[in-house]
Amino acid sequence: MAEKILARASGRRSVEPGEIVVANVDRLLMHDLSGYLTSQVYDREVNLPVRYPERVVMVFDHHFSPPTERQADVLGVNRAWARKHAINLLDCGSGNLHHAAVRSGFIQPGMIVVGSDSHTPVHGALGALGVALGNDSHAGTVLPYGKAWFKVPKTVRIEVSGTPLPGASARDVALWLVARIGEGELNYAALEFAGPYVKGLPFWDRWLFPLLCVDLGAKCAYVEPDEVTEAFVQTLPGGPASLDRLERGDSDGREADTVLRFDAGEVGPQVACPPTVGNVRPAAGVAGTPVQWAELGGHGGGRLEDIAAAARVLEGRRVHPDVRFNIVPSSREVFAEAARTGLVLALHEAGATWFPPSTGSNQAYNMGALAVGEAMVSTHARNFPGRNGSPDAEMYLASAATVAASAVAGTITEPQEVAA
Amino acid sequence: MKTFAQKAIERASGVDGVVPGQIVDVYPDLYMSHTASWRCIRTLEKMGVTELYAPDRIAMVMDHIAPAMTAKNAADHKLCREFAQRMGIRHFWDVNAGIAHIVLMENGLIRPGQFVIGTDSHSTIYGALGAFGTGVGFSEITAAWVTGKLWAKVPESVRIEISGTLPPGTYAKDVMLRLIGDLGADGLTYCSAEFAGSYTEAIGVSERMTFCNLAMEMGAKNAYVQPDPVTLRYLDDVGVSRSSYEVLVPDEGAVYRDVIAVDGSALAPQVSVPHAVDNVVPVDDVAGTRLDQVFIGSCANAKYDDLQIAARVLAGHRVAPGVRLIVTPASAQVMSRASASGVLGTLIEAGAMITNPGCGACAGNGGVMADGERTLSTANRNFRGRMGSYESEIFLGSPATAAASAIRGVITNPAELMTGVPA
Repeated sequence: MAEKILARASGRRSVEPGEIVVANVDRLLMHDLSGYLTSQVYDREVNLPVRYPERVVMVFDHHFSPPTERQADVLGVNRAWARKHAINLLDCGSGNLHHAAVRSGFIQPGMIVVGSDSHTPVHGALGALGVALGNDSHAGTVLPYGKAWFKVPKTVRIEVSGTPLPGASARDVALWLVARIGEGELNYAALEFAGPYVKGLPFWDRWLFPLLCVDLGAKCAYVEPDEVTEAFVQTLPGGPASLDRLERGDSDGREADTVLRFDAGEVGPQVACPPTVGNVRPAAGVAGTPVQWAELGGHGGGRLEDIAAAARVLEGRRVHPDVRFNIVPSSREVFAEAARTGLVLALHEAGATWFPPSTGSNQAYNMGALAVGEAMVSTHARNFPGRNGSPDAEMYLASAATVAASAVAGTITEPQEVAA
Repeated sequence: MKTFAQKAIERASGVDGVVPGQIVDVYPDLYMSHTASWRCIRTLEKMGVTELYAPDRIAMVMDHIAPAMTAKNAADHKLCREFAQRMGIRHFWDVNAGIAHIVLMENGLIRPGQFVIGTDSHSTIYGALGAFGTGVGFSEITAAWVTGKLWAKVPESVRIEISGTLPPGTYAKDVMLRLIGDLGADGLTYCSAEFAGSYTEAIGVSERMTFCNLAMEMGAKNAYVQPDPVTLRYLDDVGVSRSSYEVLVPDEGAVYRDVIAVDGSALAPQVSVPHAVDNVVPVDDVAGTRLDQVFIGSCANAKYDDLQIAARVLAGHRVAPGVRLIVTPASAQVMSRASASGVLGTLIEAGAMITNPGCGACAGNGGVMADGERTLSTANRNFRGRMGSYESEIFLGSPATAAASAIRGVITNPAELMTGVPA
């Protein structure tokens, strides 16, 4: 699929792994931090009109409510720049960059989507080719010419079968895969996630697999579009018109250079422990670790599925008095839906606190700084020391159900322990 | 013949027959301190103090910076949390609770007749329940933690009688802004402001909170609304037993420095324009002023009924493109009610950004403005630079004015958008 999309976007019949091609870019995604850096370089070094402003979006998700004048200035400059070049802008409270872009109908299957955020490959969940580039690449070629160069990656097909154990979800399988494959083990590959387990998942659960692309070192990742993708795309604003761009591979894995097969049948709840995403252990192995903070949010969390899973765990229970449980919806649409269906009330009454749709505590720009000796368990995508306040605080990454169960217990806890 | 202030200070000091101007030692019933309580704790640590006068009279609420944005904030919160636990301070509310004043009232800590001090100038708000509330510094609170007492000068009293029915689109906030505009920021310096009259009697505790909160902006030492069935019902609802407080009321014939009459029916929506709270004009004078941001929050106007009014105006509308609407519920309880009643959903659908309960943008925790930007806020202060850049501007108005202005993107008289909107 990666080859087909790159071939079409570079005007060729076919391309081979290792070739370098110049391709037309369909979408450029920037958040308030990368957008600021890109726009500054652009105006200083390039200073041309943006060739396709309608293909560019900036989402304010790190500074969703600036606490300092410096941060307010960054947003002010970004707004002025967006107006000047007539690009799309999703202002504070719209949601996490990638979720807000998808929910607004900005991403369609078959597109080449680039962005500075390292998790840009997540758009492979829609059958788009998502690639993370540097800010200077955007400024140098994408903004003025609508193009970027790519080295065609070789394809690695990852087939997952089996049904995980009770208490485990797609998030646990995804974390488990990072540990099984190893961080940085698939450098510059295109990952195709397949197999009966992945293909049997609904759209927003598939999302969690291309998301981990960066942790494996891969260039891009995707799930080949099928009827699940089509049905999802139909629900988006402007969706149906784009179905002719659904790009399917030969779907039997023949184009893959390597096929890795995994059986998720023995996978239970997993936790990525400090200091990296690949330091994954069974949740049972770290059970009992005290946490003062729990959070649903980030690129992989804050989905309606996460919020519903947390509500199931918290039904009839309350957040532990020593824990603050933050819920950060991934988009305004998710927040509105959660309000409509009573999830906002139920989780608030259980002791959780709701925050504006954004990237939440990610890097602690507007919230989520931890003190020395504190620990947070979350659905976020990163857990490097010092990312959230003190370098002597700890970040654990887990599924929404494990996060909720831990919020109830005050220590890292497997969801089925709370349910029992 | 005594005023409320005389009676409250007599009760708290045990000294009979106090007169305005007299200085006595009072033993406050409650000492409120917010996020910066860490300053008090550090001072006690330096002085080697380990015993507190009455831990049950201490109330600590982590509202100004919530949750932490820096490791320093997080460490300050942690210090307060651990101190509260170590010293047996039961009345501790963490970063998820909301604004201290509202949290204390909703949780039954404020009762008629009490003398309450707080490390926030708007502690005058406690007068809405017939208590003597006043703002003090962190040094005073620290001393009270240890000695249980504080000196107080008995204030003169001013009685403000508000009568009549307010026109559509005009609210308690507008009454206060007009009053602040007329009397000035020093109009009630060191006075006890007693609100009375048929309008005051007809409104709920929430609107009385708005009155007493904003009395501070005329320099008042404290504010007061005489407890009545509305007050007693509120206290019943929050679980305060009637035997646990003594209602103090001014005597017939008590001496007032001034008695001010306000005819509510003659008012219209009002706006404080930059850069002083007492710089007040009718909204129509500044209608059409372009806005970048609208903030519905603060201890003045982010209670449930404030959000409800905003939702009624916003229902079926969208926030104007290019304008950010930030709504910060005053407390977790306000958030509960708003999410249960559909008010929250209406605000989200209209395009509002709902933040966690707390002081939020009013205290500069979020919603900070860049150069040249303009916010219309429901808070109580519009000093230059309070919400970010020294080159930004803050206008103050009611929740209805805020909602109407968010829809149009310019300062708007809410009456224009309220045809068919329930009052």
